[in-house]
Amino acid sequence: MSYLGIVLTSIFASNALLAYGFGSMPERERKGSASLASALALACVNVVASTLLWLIHCLVLAPLRLVSLDILFFALIAVPLIKFIARMAQQGAIKQGSLLFRLGEKSDDLAVGSLVYGIALLSARSGYSLPEAVAASAASGLGYWLSQFLLEAVRERLELSDVPAPFRGAPAMLLSAGLMALAFMGIDVTFVKNLVGV
Amino acid sequence: MSFEKEGFVPNPILAGLIGICPLVVAAKSFAEGAAYGLGATLCALLLGLLIPPARDFLPDRLQAPASLAISAALALIYALCLGMYSPALAAGLGIYLPLLAVSGLSLVALRLSSFPSRSGPDGQSRLAVIAMQSAWFLVTSACVGAAREILGLGMLTIPTPGASLSRIAVADFSPLRILVSPAGGFILLGFLVALYRVTLRASGRKGL
Repeated sequence: MSYLGIVLTSIFASNALLAYGFGSMPERERKGSASLASALALACVNVVASTLLWLIHCLVLAPLRLVSLDILFFALIAVPLIKFIARMAQQGAIKQGSLLFRLGEKSDDLAVGSLVYGIALLSARSGYSLPEAVAASAASGLGYWLSQFLLEAVRERLELSDVPAPFRGAPAMLLSAGLMALAFMGIDVTFVKNLVGV
Repeated sequence: MSFEKEGFVPNPILAGLIGICPLVVAAKSFAEGAAYGLGATLCALLLGLLIPPARDFLPDRLQAPASLAISAALALIYALCLGMYSPALAAGLGIYLPLLAVSGLSLVALRLSSFPSRSGPDGQSRLAVIAMQSAWFLVTSACVGAAREILGLGMLTIPTPGASLSRIAVADFSPLRILVSPAGGFILLGFLVALYRVTLRASGRKGL
């Protein structure tokens, strides 16, 4: 598949939250998770994690036929490295509210969680080359951010709406996520292949 | 949370949505839901047992990465065991088996195990909290999987050992096929959480 196809598939058809369930619903996150710093942090962390896991998976574990150990190596190598880079970014920031500081702060939070693990594992195990895996992981991060952004917008509208009491909050968000997942299902792999070519 | 009142016991999984997003995609059938829930339960319980003693001889800087490595190792061992028990079930769960290492339940167990005292933040025994949450996670996971499979495909898959899984036909049609997709999982869970809240209010509790 072309790079454009990989990016579109990773954002829509294989959306990290709505198709794979990685990460968490906006209900469980702090408000403002759909900010620019979040999008950049997601893309950066996913690219670093996926690159590391791809290198470990394809250059070390695959020749030794130990690919099932990739999650263990990821926990031992990638997570401490991401946390180290995140803290370096925080220390290197000129002031606390700057974009670099917020990037470091959000990257530190993201390092441990199903989102980064899941995207890195998918990129490494799907048979992509390294540049394709990097493109897929960055696009998956952006796809997750897009779904969060849309769901936060839905939540803001729902807060002003007259929703039945048992459905207020998490249930309404889950139903909204389900309907959004249905919409994203429309942009499937076959559609993307027809749109941008194989 | 409180164990004082008898009767309706609060479900922290449905109330707090702990580890719920991977669950709605992974638990497509009863067998997969039960296998995923059992894996998360075993990982969380073993983490609750192993991490506190490991903290005693590990330096502070190594405690977090070592805890994560132990969690990954437990998920890996469970994945290998499930692969030997039922290759079809392990293949169906796919990427979600290694991700048990960072499931919401495992992260809760890691967080609770990082407290220096034997009791959690609300004074309860750490292991009791993990055990209760794990038990609810297992029940919720199996029920979500069963509901999706029965309503979506009209059958029930039993987690039997061997190369193939045995299936029981419940209906000769597929009433709500959409429930098998991730979108259907989110929608079903939304209704389940709402139903849980109604039951909670009917039993006179305000929630967790």
